[in-house]
Amino acid sequence: MTVIPTNQALIAQFREAPAPLLAVLHAFHDRDGFISEAALRDIAVGLRIPLAELFGTLTFYHHFAREAPGKNAPRVCTGPVCRLKGGLEILDALSSEDATPMPCAGRCDDCVPVLKGDEVLTGQQADTLAVHATPLPPPNPGTHEECIFAEIREPERNTLAGYQRTGGYQGLTQAVTTSPTEVINTLKESQLAGRGGAGFPTGAKWEAVLNAPGEPKTVVCNADEGEPGCFKDRTILDYAPHAVLEGMTLAAYATGATRGFIYLRYEYPQTLKTLERAIAEAKAAGLLGENILGERFDFHIYIRRGAGAYVCGEEGSLLNSLEGKHPFPRNRPPYPVTHGFENLPTVVNNVETLAAAAEILRHGAAWYQNLSYDKNLTGTKIISLSGDIQRAGNYEVPFGLPLQTLLYDWAGGPASGRSIQAITSAGLSGGFIAGEDLGITIDEPSFQKVGAMLGAAGIMVFDDTRDMLNVAHNAMEFFAEESCGKCFPCRIGTQRLTEMLDRNAKGHRARRALIQEIGEVMKATSACGLGTAAPNITESLMRYFPDMLP
Amino acid sequence: MVHKLTIDGKEVAFSEGETLLEVAQRHHKEIPTLCYDTRLEPFGGCRLCIVELEGARNPVASCTTQAAPGMVVRTATEEIEAYRKTLIEMVISENREVDVHPLRGYASGELAKLRDRYAVTPKRELARDRPSRSELGKITGATSGTSKSDDNPFILRDYELCISCYRCVRVCAEQEGDHAITVMNRGFHTQIATEFDGLLKDSACTFCGQCIQTCPTGALADKKAMRAVPVGAVSNRAPLEKTRTICPYCGVGCSVDILTQDEKIVGVHPAMDGPANQGALCVKGQFAYDFVQHPDRLKTPLVREEDGELHEATWEDALDRAAEGFRKTHAAHGRHSIYGIASGRAPSEAAYLMQKFIRAGFGTNYIDNCSRA
Ligand SMILES: Cc1cc2nc3c(=O)[nH]c(=O)nc-3n(C[C@H](O)[C@H](O)[C@H](O)COP(=O)(O)O)c2cc1C
Ligand code: SF4
Ligand code: SF4
Ligand code: SF4
Ligand code: FES
Repeated sequence: MTVIPTNQALIAQFREAPAPLLAVLHAFHDRDGFISEAALRDIAVGLRIPLAELFGTLTFYHHFAREAPGKNAPRVCTGPVCRLKGGLEILDALSSEDATPMPCAGRCDDCVPVLKGDEVLTGQQADTLAVHATPLPPPNPGTHEECIFAEIREPERNTLAGYQRTGGYQGLTQAVTTSPTEVINTLKESQLAGRGGAGFPTGAKWEAVLNAPGEPKTVVCNADEGEPGCFKDRTILDYAPHAVLEGMTLAAYATGATRGFIYLRYEYPQTLKTLERAIAEAKAAGLLGENILGERFDFHIYIRRGAGAYVCGEEGSLLNSLEGKHPFPRNRPPYPVTHGFENLPTVVNNVETLAAAAEILRHGAAWYQNLSYDKNLTGTKIISLSGDIQRAGNYEVPFGLPLQTLLYDWAGGPASGRSIQAITSAGLSGGFIAGEDLGITIDEPSFQKVGAMLGAAGIMVFDDTRDMLNVAHNAMEFFAEESCGKCFPCRIGTQRLTEMLDRNAKGHRARRALIQEIGEVMKATSACGLGTAAPNITESLMRYFPDMLP
Repeated sequence: MVHKLTIDGKEVAFSEGETLLEVAQRHHKEIPTLCYDTRLEPFGGCRLCIVELEGARNPVASCTTQAAPGMVVRTATEEIEAYRKTLIEMVISENREVDVHPLRGYASGELAKLRDRYAVTPKRELARDRPSRSELGKITGATSGTSKSDDNPFILRDYELCISCYRCVRVCAEQEGDHAITVMNRGFHTQIATEFDGLLKDSACTFCGQCIQTCPTGALADKKAMRAVPVGAVSNRAPLEKTRTICPYCGVGCSVDILTQDEKIVGVHPAMDGPANQGALCVKGQFAYDFVQHPDRLKTPLVREEDGELHEATWEDALDRAAEGFRKTHAAHGRHSIYGIASGRAPSEAAYLMQKFIRAGFGTNYIDNCSRA
């Protein structure tokens, strides 16, 4: 008979651990399926958080339920791609089970994800839903060498043995025989830049943390992957978790950090298990924990799960969330490199960035530089490609590859008889690209030249049958739902733009000049990247589809 | 070391730790704000305080930006002013109304003032008339916030006027240390609430009313003051007068501005520049002023005469009677028969005199103070 732990036992389990709040909330949510009033009162006392504040913070997270059926009621993805593939119909079919919609759940290569308790089922009809393994990246066309994906299709790559069989932890083993500065110099030379969206040079980030005063330092792996149309981090974590652990441990060695967090999005429960196993394996092998690789260097990794808030992928918001505060973004400067977790120096890096760092330390900076297609650029980028395209999936492309090559040669183009009307960029954050502009190459400068962003590199394809105004409306609705509410331009702007894009709403005549004006204010004055990016949707819609607004 | 930066073409000095907003305000730049309250940690929500900073891609919020040597800042370019105007228009579009009862709270006119300063067309007019061509650019749409019926005697919670600046939440936490209210939900659906979205009386609220006084729209309002001067009676009665004084209740000595109309107290505003309180008050100083003009209020000393009833007396007679009582008791029962309790309302000097009176006057250490509960 399993003993159900008491409230006090659940709290005691984490009270002394770093970043306890999310862990405690999940423990209650897992036990009861929701977080009751009584539970919240006990947590407030146990963790010494004012009750009102704790209540407000709880309501910020959409996946935390406060009453039954709570956690076990199905949540159906109604993201931009799943809408094309039966998401709304499944939501309808499951209404008797109290199903609710959720934004893109990072499974656009295997639609439609339905979250039920600790399982993600997928299928395009309610009666065909079943648990499926995360799809592996489609085979590489063989013309270009990959970095992170090079060995990812090898069997058992998600185990320590499998990872080490394919060269895993070689980078770390070598690195600890050199100085932190040498590790940083290699990264700087490789010109690796952040893959989470903002593209900040990784070597410089680690160097800033190394040089920043204050201890203990922290490494945070940003695995929140909330951007619609992005599902690359899940593939990396599911098939190469050790690459991410190795990257984090390298960051720890290079910066002197002793504690690490993986902030994992709620929608990836199976990944949680994979990561827990990988951490245990690495610890047992002396690759994590105390005295790593026999050297005098300690590093502990804790997993903390988000609970359904896109903005928690923004680093300031993420750090507040970890600290148990209301997850508003932070004002910057100061930046996390000096004032991060608990106001101490902190590296925040995306999953892909960390995995690439591990490969770079193994193969060298020159090797990485040469992977690019355009030799003025360096390295590779994983693109999550989905929507109206024959072979959706994650593709690791060399920087500078023509977009058309990816869309048509690698991914097979749209269904036969159809043409591509538009794609999105940076998930939704970069807005649309259409027409002749689809002739660009895959790299940040080229995307920005056409007013878009490559960012985290989710690309969703919409063919000529799709109603782009509707797509834009849903996109803006996503931003409005996910706006944290801290700053006026975004909180009100995303709402107004959503209203003005709604073809069916009465009394809200779409007005181009006004859409333009609100968009400009949002871009110029919003407090974080959500609010500055959202108007890319309306701007690009008006640019490519000038007749679409009524 | 003196640091310098340039504001609107003029080089000015600043001290370390100052924000751009503070420097600008010292130089009489009228930078609009809505989420700002000098007493609180800068928040950076309303974005009205944006300024142009040379070298930055976007305007920066001056309230959260630390001044740094060599910065070149412009506080009111045409572009910045245009952004501000749109922001004000946007925030007005989420509210039921902008012009509110002047006694709602100390800061309740802030939004209306900015609307006038930026000449934003009131939304009401739009709703009434069909918009003309020139007004086609006006922002309309769903309003935000749900007013909460909360039958406490002091605080009106009219969230249809809330603009989510969170000043109330921050005052409650940072200034009063009560942490009674919070931000529920997110985005356009944010709502100020207590734990479990309940009533103030079931929360940690102490009814100090300071959320009311910082609210820039009157969403939180002083029910007592509004009862004292009903709507409609605002304009056609005598003007409001403000009198600076000190709260009589306790030794903290908070400064207040008593609001009167026709010589009747209609409300209290905390004195934001009060040396002891810097704009903070407790429930007593904020709301408990009815005794001042209450018919039962004692105005002269009362002495119990032989008929067993209390009668008005002069101070001289009353003090003589008291002294006589003390002497008698002291003589009959000794020094320890006397026990002094100083009033918590008394200032330190009076408390000192009181213990002197008991210790030196009667020779006992039986002295205490009521505020050590
Ligand atoms: C609204 C918003 C959401 C974000 N979500 C993510 C995310 O899910 N994952 C991520 O790695 N970065 C995300 N970012 C970017 C992070 O703030 C940060 O730049 C990044 O994690 C840094 O890592 P990198 O340098 O390795 O890219 C987001 C940014 C914004 C503004
Ligand atoms: S831009 Fe949006 S998400 Fe970011 S701080 Fe402002 S309201 Fe929050
Ligand atoms: S109630 Fe007033 S002070 Fe509080 S958030 Fe709303 S507008 Fe701001
Ligand atoms: S009773 Fe309250 S308001 Fe009055 S002086 Fe004391 S603390 Fe201040
Ligand atoms: S006063 Fe600076 S953002 Fe509101």
